[in-house]
Amino acid sequence: MSETVHNAMPCSEFELLLGDALEGKLAAEQKARFRTHAATCPNCGPMLEFAQAGFASLQALPEVEPPRHLVHNILAATTGAEKAAARVTAVELGWRERVRGWVRPVLAPRFAMSSGMAFFSFMLVLNLAGVKLSDLRHVDLRPTSVQHAAQHTYYDTEARVVKYYENIRLVYQIQSSVRAIKDAERDPNENGKQKQPPRKEKNDTSSDPNRRQQQQYSREMRQHTLALNVVPAPLTEEPLSPQNRRVS
Amino acid sequence: MEDTQVVAALVRRCRHGDAAAWEELVGSYHRRIYNLCYRFTSSADDAEDLTQEVFIKIYRSLDQYETHKGAFLPWLTTLTRNLLVDHFRRSKQERLTDSMDATQTDDEAGPTLADRLADSGPAPDAGLQTQERQKMVQAALQKLSPELREAVILRDLQDMDYRDIAQVLKVPEGTVKSRINRGRTELGRLLSRTYRQV
Repeated sequence: MSETVHNAMPCSEFELLLGDALEGKLAAEQKARFRTHAATCPNCGPMLEFAQAGFASLQALPEVEPPRHLVHNILAATTGAEKAAARVTAVELGWRERVRGWVRPVLAPRFAMSSGMAFFSFMLVLNLAGVKLSDLRHVDLRPTSVQHAAQHTYYDTEARVVKYYENIRLVYQIQSSVRAIKDAERDPNENGKQKQPPRKEKNDTSSDPNRRQQQQYSREMRQHTLALNVVPAPLTEEPLSPQNRRVS
Repeated sequence: MEDTQVVAALVRRCRHGDAAAWEELVGSYHRRIYNLCYRFTSSADDAEDLTQEVFIKIYRSLDQYETHKGAFLPWLTTLTRNLLVDHFRRSKQERLTDSMDATQTDDEAGPTLADRLADSGPAPDAGLQTQERQKMVQAALQKLSPELREAVILRDLQDMDYRDIAQVLKVPEGTVKSRINRGRTELGRLLSRTYRQV
């Protein structure tokens, strides 16, 4: 662009004002100078014509209508992709599928026996611990609940063992007492009639396995019982001493 | 649209995963972006793909938009323009450098655009003439250099002000005005040549 000045306006200024002139933003005085320059300048006049034509043709261009499915495609490519991904994990890969995916390697033939044994052991432990899977709730899986349950199970088991031991002990004590009474009643009758069998070795219980138990569990009780049964007998047979008479 | 605070609120909702807000945003701007892409590429298919690409990019980079720094539209237009420039560079080698004298199809013996405009047989109605004229303008627009084309599109078809265009194109406002003037002038020159041929 030449820097010729027409009507007190250089071409550079004309070019600067060209945009505003086309858009109708020039002030009246500026507009008059602009038009005068365009009419007299051999370069700027044609430029204004072309610019006007180009501007008018662009303004005449209508807005293009986008395809109807465009918004749908955009949403499908953005939020739809996330939804679809979430749907795939939530629906297509439901909890059964996920569990099956975890269990599948364990169910391989070479691990079948090990898996079975592990499952059996687990269920046995649960059973011994008194845990019923059908009664489990999510609250029971909290660490504090598990700890309390374990403590409760321990004390419960301990109490059962102690009680069992006490019961067994009582039963043996009663059995020993009964047997001692029978022996005490039988001994005086058999002493005079039968010859005593040869004395066995102290620990020989081969012919009577219960005898050893009797010796072990009721030695003290028998001694005490014998004392009760045997001691009164001489008192009835012996004549009363003078001291005794006096007392009675 | 483009009330800055309203758009900022909409963007914030989108960031928090509000699907309805995102749908509203897409509904508000897809037409504008599609038109920008179409006017730049002159291809409906490319415009559709690019518009979709633009919104995917926006969806992923919405966190990068700083609501306090500027309006949403220049940011959106900048994103679109960057994708258009990438697309232009990508397709530069394979792009058909069709001119008014070149055929619109691969058939070398086919009529040129000027022939088709002139050889209309029975007198076309006004609507058809308008459509053909619009095609000529679009074809002439495609002949402009990318720098001039994007400047006139943003100004005359997207109605952006010089400051926002300067922000999008990353050039001074004076350069923007100069490019717009040159773009309009070049477009008018191309069209007058075409009209003479017709």
